[in-house]
Amino acid sequence: MILLEPNSYVLEETLLARFNSEKPEVVDITLVDFDNVIYHVQTSAEQRTLLNLSVEMKYFNEVCAYGAESILQREYGDYLVPVANSQYQITLQFNLEQLPADKAGLAKHVSMLKRNVLASPFIRAFEYWESQQEGAGPLMATHYRENEAIYVQAQQDRVTVIFSTLFQEEVDRVLGKVFLQEFVDARRQAAIQNAPQVFYSSREAPLEIRHLPGLRQDESVGYVSFVLFPRHFADAEVREKTISQIQLFRDYLHYHIKCAKAYMHSRMRTRVKEFLKVINRAKPDRTTAASEKRTASGRYFRPQFRQSSATSPQQVEGEW
Amino acid sequence: MGFAGNTDPQFVIPTVIGLPNQQSRYGIASKRGIEDLDFHIGDEATANSKSYNLNYPIRHGQIDNWDHMERYWEQSIFKYMCCEPEDHYFLLTEPPLNAPENREQMAEIFFESFNVQGLYIAVQAVLALAASWTAKGSQQTLTGTVIDSGDGVTHVIPVAEGYVLGSSIKHIPIAGRDITAFVQQLLRDHGETNIPPEDSLDIARRIKEQYSYTCHDMAKEFHKFDTEPVKYYKQFDAINSINQQSYTVDVGYERFLAPEIFFNPELVSSNFLTPLPEVVDTCIQVSPIDTRRGLYSNIVLSGGSTMFKDFGKRLQRDIKRLVDGRVKKSEELSGGRLQAKPIDVNVVAHKKQRHAVWFGGSIMACTDQFYQFSHTKAEYEEYGPSICRHNRVFESLA
Repeated sequence: MILLEPNSYVLEETLLARFNSEKPEVVDITLVDFDNVIYHVQTSAEQRTLLNLSVEMKYFNEVCAYGAESILQREYGDYLVPVANSQYQITLQFNLEQLPADKAGLAKHVSMLKRNVLASPFIRAFEYWESQQEGAGPLMATHYRENEAIYVQAQQDRVTVIFSTLFQEEVDRVLGKVFLQEFVDARRQAAIQNAPQVFYSSREAPLEIRHLPGLRQDESVGYVSFVLFPRHFADAEVREKTISQIQLFRDYLHYHIKCAKAYMHSRMRTRVKEFLKVINRAKPDRTTAASEKRTASGRYFRPQFRQSSATSPQQVEGEW
Repeated sequence: MGFAGNTDPQFVIPTVIGLPNQQSRYGIASKRGIEDLDFHIGDEATANSKSYNLNYPIRHGQIDNWDHMERYWEQSIFKYMCCEPEDHYFLLTEPPLNAPENREQMAEIFFESFNVQGLYIAVQAVLALAASWTAKGSQQTLTGTVIDSGDGVTHVIPVAEGYVLGSSIKHIPIAGRDITAFVQQLLRDHGETNIPPEDSLDIARRIKEQYSYTCHDMAKEFHKFDTEPVKYYKQFDAINSINQQSYTVDVGYERFLAPEIFFNPELVSSNFLTPLPEVVDTCIQVSPIDTRRGLYSNIVLSGGSTMFKDFGKRLQRDIKRLVDGRVKKSEELSGGRLQAKPIDVNVVAHKKQRHAVWFGGSIMACTDQFYQFSHTKAEYEEYGPSICRHNRVFESLA
């Protein structure tokens, strides 16, 4: 698995199980998604066949300004109901008795909810580019996590996307830096010339957002900017794909940092195993001459060095 | 696995990891690309078993291959649960008598690789006890005997005040798999010839899950079935997985005989002959004397193979009979001078038995104390993985 899926797998499975179940059970399930999105699936208090899906998104008010509501209306208009609880920002209601035939498709579609909402600033920027206006468009910030944000800005010939990301730990920061440097370098290969341009700076904010107040300027913060050219969003299909992939970039980056660590750990374990074999070889041979035996052909049979596969440190100590 | 606060786990997948078939000749150092990301876990691994080798990182409840386990966790967090581990607390479970080294390894992986905020490693039996709090009239204590019966093996684990009495744990080599095999055998014996051989194990499992119940008395039950077969015999409709034709199977004595092998193991096994009630009784008898009353009064069922109807009632009756017999005998031996206070035997059955451990974990993680008891990242960085050797629940006792 290299890329993360744009939809929430756990939400899709949960909804599908509810849609397919024959008798409506009372459910009350809480799920989360990347970037502190919380889903709450609950059967309606009055009627068992109604299933409510409430979504809590901290940045919903921000993206509303970029037209998230119209997207919601377009994508999920049939199911949208007024919000029941002030904790949540979006509520969808499904009548389990009147579902469309393609239940799997609906579950998949609903599980893309977060992606569709977060797509709004991107769509706004691409529309701005289509309108062929002079000068740069508005800078749209989405604080999708605490202290971390996506900035999207349309220009006449391109759209710039800037991620700010925070590394909690020193090791992560170093790995992230190496990883992002790889990203920048990989683009030089001929095969992926079409990829968007990537810039990376740790500490110093890029020029586009430098005027914003309250930016963090310390070691733990990193800024990644993508420059999207019309070929990345002129075509409708490519555009959707671009949006899906770019908005998961932060999670993608952190996922791969973790994978890299897991990989290094497995190499470390193999290395330790090898070293332990060497140490075991240095053990004094406990067999005496008396135990030497002749084989059938008359040669001496010497026991080989013990190379047991059980080489955990505890066992090695125990044998001494 | 799932999110706390829910009643059922979000995913129930086998701990299996599918790795690409070809092994590189030069070992791990030759991997320079993205080969380490090419794997599947759980049901997807089994589905792709033609092109991927299946590996089981957990053997006998202990983690065997940490490399595989780390990658298994990696994918279950990012792909299945869709969450950023840095934002969450994690609750892991371990079998009773887990080596502290294993616990340390787990903590290392979770804190170093995944940067989790906090971690709590709980013993499965204790969580099963916590899950029983949902049952009606339960005592909400952490003292009790847990009977955990899954697919492979059945454990009887006494727990006193949340502390597992390791020396008194008993194992029984009879569990779900044996029951299924027994049902399969019975079906074969009474001439169900229309079951295709490739489906027979699956049919046996489904019959076991749908129709089996625990009876009071085997002889009486046989009599009932013989006098009124129409009422008790069931028809099971099945579909041949190859040619899609439907056929029916008659379900008879196996309805009550299947769970009976817990109480009369001689039905299936020739070398293990102690019935479950007796095992539970000896298990409690070898526990410290001051905990025994508590252990008798709260016997908790957990795991899929304890889900038979009335299993709890039967077990309670049989244990009660054993205990009362012993009390009576000691009273007689004392010549009537001593009167023992009757021992209260109580088997707790509840609706969440199948995923009792998970459910108990979900309850625990929702309490406020959970955050106090779990080990945080800051502590890990201060003291290292050895913090996991210590469980803060027992701090007040020490």
